[in-house]
Amino acid sequence: MLRIRNLRCGYGGLEVVKGVSLHVARGEIVTLIGANGAGKTSLLQAIVGLLPPWQGSVTLDGRDSTGTPVWRGISHGVVLVPEGRQIFADMTVWDNLLIGGYRNPDRAVAIEEVLEHFPRLRDRERQVAGTLSGGEQQMLAIARALVARPRLLLLDEPSMGLAPLIVQAVFEIVESLREQGVTVFLVEQNAVAALGIADRGYVLDTGEITLEGDCADLSRNPEVKRAYLGKGYKEVWE
Amino acid sequence: MTIFDRRNETMRPDLVEQVQLERLQALLARLRRNVRRYADIVGDTQIDSLSDVSRLPFTTPDDLVSAFPYGMFALPLREVIRLHSNVGPGGKQLVCGYTNNDLIQWGRLTARQLVAAGVTSNDVLQIGFGDGFLAHSLGFMLGAELIEASVIPEDTSHIEYQLQVLGSYRTTVLITTPTNAAELVDLLHATKTDAQSLHLRSVILTRPVPAGLREDLETGLFARVQCCFGIPEITNPGFCVECEHGRFHVNEDQFLVEIHEGELVVTTLSREAMPLLRYRTQVACSLQRGKCSCGRTGAMVTPGDRLDGQLRVREMPLYEGQVADVLDKTEAAGQPFSLEISDKEVAISIEMSQRLFGDQMRLLADLREQIRSEFRTRLGIPAVVRYVAPMSSVEERDLPGQPASEG
Repeated sequence: MLRIRNLRCGYGGLEVVKGVSLHVARGEIVTLIGANGAGKTSLLQAIVGLLPPWQGSVTLDGRDSTGTPVWRGISHGVVLVPEGRQIFADMTVWDNLLIGGYRNPDRAVAIEEVLEHFPRLRDRERQVAGTLSGGEQQMLAIARALVARPRLLLLDEPSMGLAPLIVQAVFEIVESLREQGVTVFLVEQNAVAALGIADRGYVLDTGEITLEGDCADLSRNPEVKRAYLGKGYKEVWE
Repeated sequence: MTIFDRRNETMRPDLVEQVQLERLQALLARLRRNVRRYADIVGDTQIDSLSDVSRLPFTTPDDLVSAFPYGMFALPLREVIRLHSNVGPGGKQLVCGYTNNDLIQWGRLTARQLVAAGVTSNDVLQIGFGDGFLAHSLGFMLGAELIEASVIPEDTSHIEYQLQVLGSYRTTVLITTPTNAAELVDLLHATKTDAQSLHLRSVILTRPVPAGLREDLETGLFARVQCCFGIPEITNPGFCVECEHGRFHVNEDQFLVEIHEGELVVTTLSREAMPLLRYRTQVACSLQRGKCSCGRTGAMVTPGDRLDGQLRVREMPLYEGQVADVLDKTEAAGQPFSLEISDKEVAISIEMSQRLFGDQMRLLADLREQIRSEFRTRLGIPAVVRYVAPMSSVEERDLPGQPASEG
């Protein structure tokens, strides 16, 4: 569904994404894990057109969408849930969802369908979004994106700033998207949680993909264990 | 025939290309960071398409020899959980390391071959190669266990016992070397045993054999014969899958193959412990692409001869230089000799000299026994020793050389 080849982008003279290639097939949950500053968010922004690519291509369903403006991307079914939720804090849950469906003429129906999967949001649909807990705000951000009926959902660090139990709840929702036929590209720093729900994964390190594979294999990879899963070694004798 | 890993074995060519490019780029990033030998020679070379691979340096068997034992490893030794030795150029030793993931992947790749040969969890597999093939048989074990077939690992040193196991365990699939399979056929003839009385359905051979030999073995063992083709330093078994049409499909999700001046060149795309970039396999090969009615999309290779002078004696790899090395360990050190190497044995004709010649025949018999023993223990191959008249004296007399003693 999504294919990226040799994507390079950055800020000013600083190259942040250094020739990345990856793909996401229809119906898959694919994760991109990496440390702070690896270039994860920049890569996502380049995919949706928020950051102009210097080189390379982004193809969606065989159609070149390199550098396509964000608004056009949404009409092609690509929706980004940005880092740090970015909900409209002064508006109600319902109004946030309405904005998510701005380009969807069936938004009222879509909101009803989405709320079926988010009972906690239904209970709070008239509540001002800024008064929701962190986990609920993240759920709202995901729900708002789903109202646009995306074919490809891009999630940027949905676990950020959430307690472990809430992370689990959010990731259960992400995992359930598979059953709804939504393809997910999940960018995460929380490798344990991401590798636990995704089908395949990529590891981004200082702008380069260094590892890729099925999540079960990545979880066993010594470098992933060392760098992301907290399985360090006290003794090094080589 | 069924396909074990449909997603990877029947992947669309455009997706294969995408996956290979992704894995090659990730491999280069890892090599630059983790393997000093590669970091120096790869430098900042960027790969934007698979055709750019030609800009990358080759890795040769000599590189592996000079990096012995751990110089090619991309991970610290504590993360490498298995080490296999292989025979490198001139008989020198090579080491291949495997992580847990490497072994799991090896099992999956071998399972592809086994399933292509029709193996299921209902089968009883007998694996027996003989001395020197432990690594090989371990690969088959991993694949067979993944399919959950019942495995009998057997030592082939007693061919009669092997036949007995074939009968009494009701083995349905035999995995063995062509030499051993041919010996089994001979034994069936010698003991007037009807091959149909066995329960064999399938025989999987460790290497490709000519069509004539394959037919003989199929008739002699009354079972379908399928072959493997692999390179020990890359993966063997598991490099490719022989389909029901006799075509070797490369597992292209794991290996990037090229043909360079007639030689097979392979890049391991996902191996963790010891990835190899553009490894020159020393095997002549041709490559075809196109549709195969088996459904697999992997490129098809037709393996040819070794290009580095490696010979095979009773399935064991042998370089001529190794013969001199072994002779140097005996009383015959420094004596001129000539060789006749066949599939079955090495015949060594040692020229007599004043030093060897004595008044006791027993001394020459002891030396012959010593040489045979050294060949068996050091190289795992049988040797026949002959003593011949010195060539210089033959030339002086202008007579054909006559063996002084038959071995």
